[in-house]
Amino acid sequence: MGSSVRKAIELILSADPELLNILSTTARVCLTSSVLALLIGVPVGILFGAERFPGRKVLLVLNRTLIGMPPVVCGLLFYMLFSGVGPFRHLHWLFTVKLMILAQVVLITPIIIGVMETFVADTAPALRETAKGLGFGRLKEYRLLINECLYSIFSAYLLSFARAIAEVGAVAMVGGAIAWKTNVMTTAIMMYTNRGSFTLGIALGLILLSLSLLVNIILSVMQGRLSR
Amino acid sequence: MKTTAFTKTYAGRTVLSLPELELPQACITAVIGPNGSGKSTLAKILAGIERADEKRQILSGVSVGYLPQKSFPFRMSTEKNILQNGNDHARARALMKELGIDSLAGQSAKKLSGGETARMALCRILMKRYELLILDEPTAAMDMESTLAAEGLIQKYCAETGCAVLLITHSIGQARRLSDRLLFLQGGKLIEQGQTSQLLSVPQCEETKRFLEFYGR
Repeated sequence: MGSSVRKAIELILSADPELLNILSTTARVCLTSSVLALLIGVPVGILFGAERFPGRKVLLVLNRTLIGMPPVVCGLLFYMLFSGVGPFRHLHWLFTVKLMILAQVVLITPIIIGVMETFVADTAPALRETAKGLGFGRLKEYRLLINECLYSIFSAYLLSFARAIAEVGAVAMVGGAIAWKTNVMTTAIMMYTNRGSFTLGIALGLILLSLSLLVNIILSVMQGRLSR
Repeated sequence: MKTTAFTKTYAGRTVLSLPELELPQACITAVIGPNGSGKSTLAKILAGIERADEKRQILSGVSVGYLPQKSFPFRMSTEKNILQNGNDHARARALMKELGIDSLAGQSAKKLSGGETARMALCRILMKRYELLILDEPTAAMDMESTLAAEGLIQKYCAETGCAVLLITHSIGQARRLSDRLLFLQGGKLIEQGQTSQLLSVPQCEETKRFLEFYGR
């Protein structure tokens, strides 16, 4: 175990090309999917939290169900849709980074919607009463609401990024963990462990843990700044 | 200005049923009554926050400012909060000074105490001219010194702008000090109304007498 960790650190420091390729694919998939999920999830979450409209409760239940969707089920769904017998087979997206991103967007967006909805539903009534009392229009009311949400948006993003980077089921199914093409950190750890090659697996595990630590440090620092 | 008669029902229970109310310009009208008498519901309906059963506007074509019991501090400095309701920096500073929060101008409004938030909220609402200003217990969280300063500001605002002020209060003393007219609500109904001094010294209804005896004239 100790020698594996030492070798893993050496591998990280030597900038191993395969390791770098896995890291860049992971960054591409996770950053793109989390940003896309943020762009979709934040406005929808704010809308769900701030407005009351017919069907809202049904949509919220549906969203909560999607938050709990197992990644392998999501992966299976996309596999079926894009495989040789699926309706989108002509796109040839199976085992590509594009489909990995799409699957992750579907997995992450409900989390962002949920975080935003919970915060906004709690904040909006008091803010709206004050804003309406001051005679503000809807646009200004929404501007103030978004200003209140900055920390929530930030933490929702970090949460979704953390989920994306730790996710393995969906990306393994739709990406196929192809070396030098669709292999990301989590799928690579599984692959190398199955092969009995623990060194690279431990190196990737260390990087994943370090990233998780970094995300939490950023969150703590920003919490202080944005709550001012 | 005059409101139309209206009712408000929650879950089949009528919580407020009021006749036409007159809210004279340049006059402070205080609303007193026990808990659950409908004072805050009246304020919210007139401000357009809640709707009366009649689904029509109770006051039409009137610019209304409304200060809720717990006003929301926006996530910005105290001064910026106040300037959200007008760009007059000099007025904002003068209001803050009168209420003793000028030293908190640059501080985050989220970090103000309850009393400081109430003072900031009062400064913020007084930045703009309204035809009707509704204040729902504006000094409930303030100490006596701040309460008296706030009352002075409200009187000054009313005299300078000529607007009608509707003041919801639990304090008979505040109603006496500040208001020209008084409405007494109980059980969602208007029990008695009149000149403050007259209503407080010679109440006509038994309910009003009991209420004033309980709370002390």
